[in-house]
Amino acid sequence: VTTGTGNPDEFDRQKTLLLSKVGDPGSGAVRYAAAMYFFNQKLLSCDVLEIYRRCCKFDNEDPVELAKFEKIEGFSPLSFNSGNRR
Amino acid sequence: MMNKNNRDIRVPAIWDRSGLPGWCYHSPALLELEKEHIFKTHWQIACHVSDVPEVGSFQTFDMCGERAIILRDSDRKVRAFHNICRHRGSRLVVKDNGICKNALVCPFHGWVYNLDGTLRGAARPDSFPELDKHKFGLRTIDFEIWNGFVFVRFKKGPQPAVKELLEPFAREAAGYNMADHVPVGELWHGQSPVNWKSVRDVDNEGYHVAMAHPALQDLYGATYADEPYVNGVSRSDGKFTQSSGRRWAVRNYKKMSKPQEHLPESLHRSWLYYGLFPNAVIAATPETILFYQEFPLSTAKSQLRSGIYRNPVEDRQQRASRYLANRIDRETVKEDIQLTIWSNESMASDSFEGFYLSDLEYGVRSHHDHLRAILPIYNVKQAPIEDDVKTLNTSLGNTGAQ
Repeated sequence: VTTGTGNPDEFDRQKTLLLSKVGDPGSGAVRYAAAMYFFNQKLLSCDVLEIYRRCCKFDNEDPVELAKFEKIEGFSPLSFNSGNRR
Repeated sequence: MMNKNNRDIRVPAIWDRSGLPGWCYHSPALLELEKEHIFKTHWQIACHVSDVPEVGSFQTFDMCGERAIILRDSDRKVRAFHNICRHRGSRLVVKDNGICKNALVCPFHGWVYNLDGTLRGAARPDSFPELDKHKFGLRTIDFEIWNGFVFVRFKKGPQPAVKELLEPFAREAAGYNMADHVPVGELWHGQSPVNWKSVRDVDNEGYHVAMAHPALQDLYGATYADEPYVNGVSRSDGKFTQSSGRRWAVRNYKKMSKPQEHLPESLHRSWLYYGLFPNAVIAATPETILFYQEFPLSTAKSQLRSGIYRNPVEDRQQRASRYLANRIDRETVKEDIQLTIWSNESMASDSFEGFYLSDLEYGVRSHHDHLRAILPIYNVKQAPIEDDVKTLNTSLGNTGAQ
């Protein structure tokens, strides 16, 4: 798959979507789709993408917490702030 | 002699008044031919553009084993795809409608597609070679928008473009501003325990109205007239009679009906129906536009599907008259479903010798003629051996199906 458009607006939009509020209806799929965008930008690893995939169908499942629980290295290559996720 | 819509709608002085042979209504082998050569190859109404109002809005349409998704992309453009993941073929969206806020995510393994159909990425991308986002993008479906209605066609077929097909009615239909309408609710789905052709046989004639539809009779009575199918389209209309109406809903509807300002005066007190071969109708009243269609689930079960749309701006009186129009229509649908059951069960009886149609039922004949033009097997009077149906149809020679 080719990388994203490089469009800064799209980058920001996808970043917002990646940080969608945990618990919002459909947010699991939204976060996973955004994670795929950043994977294509080579800003997320396969392991991290996989965390988002596992959380995709569970809107209440916080990928950050799952990654911590699973001790996934380098979870936040974009330095996304996960402090206000809830 | 052509009518005002440039259509020759005359009923011949002498014509074969028998309908299709009874076996055609319960042959599984024929049904397979119908699916391939009647349904998949002809335009089908999937929805109205207003059913997908926002970026990411989608509406699905399943028919004869095929499934489509109508979607509004990030540029607000309406697109149509097969609702099939390029990985293992799973349906990408499982709900009838909804919003994909960011992308389409396959619920099976998690492949992700952009709203323009290109592949954003495969799950576990490390397990695949590089995937081209176009080559592995969603497969598009032939589609066309006519006055806001979204038509799809699963396979190339004999029909021209929808615009060309419906050209005879283009001027008249333009008066309704159909494309600007908005949904009254979600699309309606129902099932009926009959062969799909029995649904159409009932709907293609108004001879039964006086007997079976007291509300319609009260509304437009003897003014109702059917034009047969010519080049794939038919037309019917009824004009409100002068009487005040004996039934509560009709009486109040006639009193309250208040057309939108944009509607030409000639359409103020009419209900119109455009039939589209093989299985759909677009109808218009001063208050609403709607579509309905049927397709086979088996030889003895049909899926019914419809959508109703209203003007985006309406006052209380218009809203009330829309309610009353819908009430009359609901009553009519219920009555028609019963008629289709009576019509269909006759086909299973050895004692039934076939239709003997009135001149007022020439629309039924014209629909059957369209069917015969595609599948000549319909001309075979006695039921063939099931295993021979496909071969026999081919040997009879035709243009539509091989």
